[in-house]
Amino acid sequence: MSDIIVLLCRCFGEIDQTIDFEIVREKLTKDRGISSLICADSLCIGRDIDTVISQIKESGGRKVLVGACSVLARGDQVVQKLVDEGIVRSDIHLVDLREGCAWIHQDNPDGARQKALNLIDMGLAFLEHKDESDDVSVKINQEVMVVGAGPAGLAAALSLARFGVTVHLLERSSTPGGMLKLISRSYPKDDATSIRLKPYLDEVEKTSRIRMYPQSKILSIKGYTGNFTVRFSSEEEELSISPGAIIIASGAMVFLPNGLFRYGEIQNVITQMELETRFKKGNVTARSAVFIQCVGARCEERPYCSTICCPASIKNAMQIKDDNRDAEVFILHRGVMTPGSVLERYYRKALSKGIQFVRFDKDSPPVIKGDEDIESVEVYDAITGLTRTIESDLVILSTPLIPNHDNHHLAEMLDLQLDQYGFFREIYPMHPLETRMDGIFICGSARWPVSSGQAISQGEAAAMKAASVLCREEVTASTFSRVPGLKFGHARVTPDSCTGCGNCMAVCPFDAIRLQRIDGKYTYVSRVNKMRCKACGNCVSVCPNGTMQMPEHNYLSVCEMIEKAFG
Amino acid sequence: MMPYHDEDNQYLIVGGGVAGIIAALDLAETGRDVYLVDKAASLGGQVAKLDKIYPTDHCAFCPLWTDIKKVQNHYRITVHTSSKLTDITEENGKYAVTISKEPTIIDENLCIYCGRCFQKCSAGAVRPLWEHASPPSHFIDASICTDCGDCVDICPTGAIDLNRTAVEIVLSVNDIIWATGFNEIDLSPLPEFCIGSHPDIMTSLEFEKWTAEAGRNKGGIIRKLNGTAPQNIAFIQCAGARDQRMLPYCSAVCCMHAIKQAQWVKRREPNIDCCIFYTDLRTVGRDYYEYSLRDIKGSGIKLIRGRPGLIYPLPDRESIAVKYENTLTQVREIARFDMVVLNGNLQPSLVRTVEKGMRGPSLDSEGFVDTTRDDLSRFAGGFALEPADIADSVIQGSSAAINVVTKTIYKR
Repeated sequence: MSDIIVLLCRCFGEIDQTIDFEIVREKLTKDRGISSLICADSLCIGRDIDTVISQIKESGGRKVLVGACSVLARGDQVVQKLVDEGIVRSDIHLVDLREGCAWIHQDNPDGARQKALNLIDMGLAFLEHKDESDDVSVKINQEVMVVGAGPAGLAAALSLARFGVTVHLLERSSTPGGMLKLISRSYPKDDATSIRLKPYLDEVEKTSRIRMYPQSKILSIKGYTGNFTVRFSSEEEELSISPGAIIIASGAMVFLPNGLFRYGEIQNVITQMELETRFKKGNVTARSAVFIQCVGARCEERPYCSTICCPASIKNAMQIKDDNRDAEVFILHRGVMTPGSVLERYYRKALSKGIQFVRFDKDSPPVIKGDEDIESVEVYDAITGLTRTIESDLVILSTPLIPNHDNHHLAEMLDLQLDQYGFFREIYPMHPLETRMDGIFICGSARWPVSSGQAISQGEAAAMKAASVLCREEVTASTFSRVPGLKFGHARVTPDSCTGCGNCMAVCPFDAIRLQRIDGKYTYVSRVNKMRCKACGNCVSVCPNGTMQMPEHNYLSVCEMIEKAFG
Repeated sequence: MMPYHDEDNQYLIVGGGVAGIIAALDLAETGRDVYLVDKAASLGGQVAKLDKIYPTDHCAFCPLWTDIKKVQNHYRITVHTSSKLTDITEENGKYAVTISKEPTIIDENLCIYCGRCFQKCSAGAVRPLWEHASPPSHFIDASICTDCGDCVDICPTGAIDLNRTAVEIVLSVNDIIWATGFNEIDLSPLPEFCIGSHPDIMTSLEFEKWTAEAGRNKGGIIRKLNGTAPQNIAFIQCAGARDQRMLPYCSAVCCMHAIKQAQWVKRREPNIDCCIFYTDLRTVGRDYYEYSLRDIKGSGIKLIRGRPGLIYPLPDRESIAVKYENTLTQVREIARFDMVVLNGNLQPSLVRTVEKGMRGPSLDSEGFVDTTRDDLSRFAGGFALEPADIADSVIQGSSAAINVVTKTIYKR
């Protein structure tokens, strides 16, 4: 243990008032054979660290064990100072002697000292036996693939193009615009969608940085951050690109309410989308229109709120009212979902225009009366407690957005997670567009139903995330993590002892392990993709013979640490 | 090639909450110099004050902490805490922004959080910054401080200087992103809530702090009145919000916030009855509706549609009466509750700043940044732009970040 230097911080008495450093020093130097032990008044505040560093350099030791405060206090600052002075980060180990030891065991100095010694012993064992992952570096391809040319995809592609990145924009249909081009006006500004889309489409046309591929279908995606290889077909031509990052903006579909509220049985019971088509043709004439909300949403099969249906109904109700001031328009709802300032104002505007809102219970839904034509809609008004009969000639069913059928296919190719319905899942609310695979981002209704305005800002935000992947021209596997400096290396296989059982491949959540056939033999060994590996350690725990190891936390170092703690 | 490393352009982000933090990180990682200014003494904004977040039920602190650390360690980000904007002038297409950095009597770079000043201070002016401040440090409330100097003598690192004065810093920036977040607005103008009449009538952020696992009660649900366990708690939604007398808009986050709080009460103390008084239970977002279903069905939280007309302490001062009409059953009732939590009184913070007469961004009638009005107010994110939860704030922050950059590139 001669090459390990132990640094102990007194923290102006906060630590050594409880833990007697003299006894610790004696035990460490005599029993553990530590040749250089340095005690300082304070490692975090200016004065002492310089002398400490010169002492470290004199002693010739390589590894440093720091006994100071918690990483949540100033421990990480101390480590950073040592790193700045040229000590390798992986050769430093921090032991929390203040918060986790001296402070909470103030009333028991002997116990605290024993715990401190145990902690230091564990740290020494860790430093002694730990190994180091070998690193690999890759170049980041300066191109981005955007899947889907709806509002989210267009916004993402345009932002990236303005930023200076080449974008490959893949679209399933033959023209860009997504679901927005099927709609007449967009809320809450009530502007025509054609006018809204125009600047985007014009700029896509103009800029040379965006390559648009209509009628495209993705065939395969391979690779990892910075180096994906995508094969796809566009207009029956097979192409291949190598983007550095991928943005999924493939949108969603509208649920068709077959069999609900006599849809398909009576002619004038239509969906919101059919109403939009009628608006586009300009032939909506209704004396009395009734919108029914939550058709096929917030029910057993789809227990979620689809976000956009309430404002969309309010928008269309106002348009019917605008076209015919004498029309009676009702919205039958189960709670008006217009959160925020803009939408709440929109809701108030609808109220002031005379749109009538009737709340119904989930258990007593409205009933449409009539044989071939609608005669009336009967609804139990939950607020007044009375059953109302509304004479009507048009019933519009508000149905939720549902995930695209091919989301599963795409998710499988990219190894992304879907939620219980089939929308793409983010990793965490603080990182709402990032997926568990680095370099792949989700936005728009492919992630969760959103309005066109939200889709645009999500597209822009996803573009920002993709740009921040691309801005590092070359990355190494060890620095590539969301929290720089905190990645624990990556898993390592010893090929000689690997039996090729494949357990590790089965448990890897990041698709980082593959079985590779040994040349000329019928046996396999597993191989770890270092860029994909997140050092979670799942593979290590299932490896039957200890071939798979995390070098930084290998069996020897972990077992030794346990031995020191409890042995 | 792409201008990743742009030395000529600097950006200012006002507000160090989640939207500001993420916008700063995005700009810095794509090679831009960023100033991040926050009026509080530490970064994190309102999310830092939350105990748990919905819908994951995780602590708010961990993911926030990693991002705060990234901000503090990034060489392109300069953080000014305890700072306020005092003036904005425009020159040569850039903004000269004057910020006034309040005296931090305890230098947080020198404070080791030993707590000696806290124990020594007889006036009670010293207290910890907040539970999760990073790095943890103490704070001296200048309004209580008697200038006795005891703390200066006892501080082992010499971090305390009672004579520090505010410094003025002038920054020259290309664009400003407004991410100023929200404040709780005082509800006392609304007579029905009887604010101040009983200690157990509190706002939801006060309740969050009172019951926080890292707070003084260590997650215990007890009454402020006498420290005993309450029998029941009422959560009143839309308090001050969706109300033409105060805030006409819906604050968007409070329904889920109340469900989360009620659910955590149930989880810790299953015997406490929780009752949420709502208008529309707005659960818009992934897993939000399922979250509300699961908790309300699973843990027996009672939902009543109605806005209480009067809340008042009962004559024995023991408990609080809530007078309401359940609008779904049309029954009028008076119920007795031990604690009342008011939800919804969230106002964008910029309202106060602009009221004071400083030149600031254009606000709409409700106090949110109107990004279409002029150049100074073009970029905003989080609650300053629109009532938003964590995910939406972060998205808007990133979106504002790329828009400021592409605007600069286009100008050239």
